[in-house]
Order: sequence, then C-alpha cells, then structure tokens
Amino acid sequence: MAAAFRRSAARRLGGLLSWIGLVGAIAAAWQASLWFGVMTPELLPPIGEVLATAVSLLGRPAFLASVGVTLAEVLVAFAIAVPLGVALGFAISESSYWSAILKPIVFLIFSIPKTIFLPMFILAFGINFGQKVGFGVFSTIFIVLISSFSALDSVKSDHVRVARAYGASPWQIAWRVYMPAMAPILLEAVRLAMIFNLTGILLAEMYASRAGLGQLIASWGENYMLKELLAGILLIAAAAILFNEAVRWFEARCEHWRS
Amino acid sequence: MSLAMASSAARPALSPAAVRLLLGIAVLILWEALPRLGLVPQLFLPALSQTLAALVGSAAEYGAHLLHTLRAIGIAMLVACGLGIGLGLLIGSVAPLRRTLQPLASGLYAVPIVILYPLFTAWFGIGPQSKIVFASVYGMLPCLLGTMAGIQTIDRQYLTVARSMRASRWQVIGRVLLPAAMPTVLSAFRVGGALVIVGVVVAEMLTSSEGIGYLISRYRTLLDSPHVFAGILLVVLLVVLFGALVQQVERRTAHWRFSTRSGEAG
Repeated sequence: MAAAFRRSAARRLGGLLSWIGLVGAIAAAWQASLWFGVMTPELLPPIGEVLATAVSLLGRPAFLASVGVTLAEVLVAFAIAVPLGVALGFAISESSYWSAILKPIVFLIFSIPKTIFLPMFILAFGINFGQKVGFGVFSTIFIVLISSFSALDSVKSDHVRVARAYGASPWQIAWRVYMPAMAPILLEAVRLAMIFNLTGILLAEMYASRAGLGQLIASWGENYMLKELLAGILLIAAAAILFNEAVRWFEARCEHWRS
Repeated sequence: MSLAMASSAARPALSPAAVRLLLGIAVLILWEALPRLGLVPQLFLPALSQTLAALVGSAAEYGAHLLHTLRAIGIAMLVACGLGIGLGLLIGSVAPLRRTLQPLASGLYAVPIVILYPLFTAWFGIGPQSKIVFASVYGMLPCLLGTMAGIQTIDRQYLTVARSMRASRWQVIGRVLLPAAMPTVLSAFRVGGALVIVGVVVAEMLTSSEGIGYLISRYRTLLDSPHVFAGILLVVLLVVLFGALVQQVERRTAHWRFSTRSGEAG
C-alpha cells in the first residue's frame, strides 16, 4: 500500500516535471526566436510582456464578463448534453435490435467533425446564447453517446448474475456493480465532452457573436493586438489543460477504487 | 451477430440494415416535405431539391473554390498525418520518450485549437498558408495520439524476436511496428484526415477569400440557405468519401495484420 502510494506519487511528480519542462521549452523557443530575429516583437511580443498582459486581463471587468458569458454557455451545454447523451445511450443499448440499427448511424455521424455544421445553427437559431448552447450540445452529444455504449458494454454480466444470486437489490446492483465498472469510461466521456464542447462554443463565438471569449480572441486577431491575443490563448489553454488534468487525476483515483 | 439475427427472427420482415435504409429515405423525404409544406421555414432548412438545384446551378463556382480547398487539404494532410504518424511511431517505439511525452500530448489535446487561428492569420496573412498551418495543427494531435496508442497494443514478443535477430531500429519500425500497428495507424489517419478536411473549411469560413468555406460564409451573410446547405453537403460528402477510401485501404491491408498477429489466434 505504502509502496504503491510512493510509486503513484513519484509518477505524479514525474508528470509535473515533464509539464514544467514543456513550458520551459516553449518559453525558451519563444525568446530564442526573438533573439535570433526569426520573429519580430510586432509578431511575437516578448513572453514577459504577454504574461504581464495576461495578469492584467484577469483584473479587467470586460474580460471577466466575456469569460462569464463563455462559461455560462459551456456549462449549460454540458449540463444538457451529458445527461441527455447518457440517457439516450442507455436507451439505445437496452434493445439489441435498435442497437444494431442505430449504432452504425451514431458512429457515422461521430466520424464527421461537427464544426462544419455551424452555419446551419446560425441560420436556424440566429446569433445568440441559445445558438451557442445548441451548437455546444450538438458538438458534444455524440461522444457521450458512444462512451455510454462502451460503458454499458464494460459491465460484466457475470458480475451482475453473481450479485443477483446473492440477493442484491436493483439499487445495490446499480451502485456496486454498474457504477464501479462504468465510472472510468464515463469520466473519460466527461473529459472528452468538455474538450469538444469548449472547442465548439469558442468556434461559434469566433465565427459570429457579440459576446464571449471567442469573440474577444477573434477581434484581437483582426486588430493585430497580439499581446492580448497571445495572453488570451495562454489563459484559455492553461484553463483547458488544468481542467483536463484534474479529471484525469480523478479518473486515476477511481481506477484505484475499482481494484 | 447472433443477437441481431435472433431479434430479426422475432421481427421477420426487417433486418437492421433495411430499417437503416428506411430511416435514411424517411430523412430525405422529410428534408423535402417539411420545408415544402411550410412546417419548417425555408431559411432554416431549404428543401433537398432546392439544395441540390443550388449545387448544380452554381457547379462552376463550387468547382473552382473546391480546387483551392482540395489543394490546401492535400498539403495539410501530408504535414499533419506525415508528422503525426511519423512522430507517433518514433515516440511510441522508444519507451522513455513515450513515458514522458504521451501524457503531455494527451494533455495538449485539451487545448481548443481554434483559438490559434487568429494568431496564424496575423502571422501568415489571409492566404492559403494560415489555413494549411491551422488544419495541420488541428489534425496532427489525433494522428500522433492514435499512432502512439496503436504501437502500445503490439505484442512485445515480436519486438523481442526482432531484436534477438539483430534487426536495426529502422528494420524494427518498417518490418514489425508499422505492419502490426497498421489498423490503428489507419484509424488514426481516418480521424486526423477528417479533421484536416474540416479544419481547412472552418479556417476558410472564419477568414478567407477563397475556398468552399469562404463560399459557405458568404452565402450565409446573404441568408441564401440553399447555397449554404449545398456547400456543407459537399464538405460532408468529402469527409464520408475520405472515410470510405481509408476503410477500403484498411480492408486491403487486413492480411498484414493476420500475418503479423497469427500467433494471437492460437
């Protein structure tokens, strides 16, 4: 137990070190390209100035308001897409007949990147909060569907049979057999859903919007405000990576709990 | 398979494939009927016949812009899938590299790549370069991650045998890793390639002066739904066609897998 804990702690430290190494390498390449004249400061402002801009952005009410808009869209879309996707996925998996019919269709639609359908959403919903949320749900729901298919497949029927033989209640079977088997796959679904969702909504904001982080990023780009643009990119990237790593850390803990 | 057959025996008339076909026909009929009957505004959903008429009527325009898009897709696919699969094979086959880089690569996958596009247009201008760079970055990570994961599923015994026969690193990659990883590499290529296609079009939609994406955006601002849908339909066809093509290659190379994994059957 202690050895296992030490080993996982060592791995976590190694992971942290490799992230520090990556950030250091990017910073070094950034500054080196300026020193050697590959990039001019107009195209790539020095990293110190960009970081200072990032810090000052976090204190600007206009920026925080944009973050709020985007966050609200992302959360509403997420709160709709994940339960809906899981429920639909389970409903389809319930019947082997409908699984045989619908699963190939879901996989076909999943294989087409959703970003291409964005203009349809603008024609149908206009340019507003609902359209962003709708597009976020659409970008997200297919990965959730597919994950719920494989989550249900991962529950071993032997385990369910044994639990029933011992007289477990349906609630106990759901909580003790289904949940532990499905938790890692569903967490993976949550992680991927968030990536797809955030990408979809930021793109929708960049394409046509009056508010939100994506709109801010696009207008900084159009106006050559590269210091703000780079600071915004760094902040969004850092937030996305931190969320992703947090879910993965939780996934690893569940894996542990499962065994 | 037996399950599907059992349920189709219970409902003797319709196999799942037949129901799928009927569903497809129903979607096409609804696509035509709903807007025609005024149940859905034509602006939201132009009728199928209108969309096809727009596609045929402006075939020359779509064709000319499609050429620009296809050229960008070709270059970006070479870069994205070449680099992604090449680096994936290299990193996946060197254990210490894989242990440090794989978590980083899948962490970086969380970054929404779209936010880099304004940076690329600022750096490279609104020409083909910025969309090629964008689509390459967009498609590369899935290729890289898929290939790395594919390498990991290879039976270690093949490597041991190859090494004990003193195969060089390139021989190991060319004769053992690549054939054994072929199915995963191809499915990584399918995912990455689809992202490259859509990446180019989305870049054109955002800021561009040529290509299918530019046409879609221009017709959208004109609220000309049939032409918007026709453009999207064209891109979806392109993605589906690409997927079918890769699947064909997967089928053709299936015997590689059998010859390299014959040991697993026993």
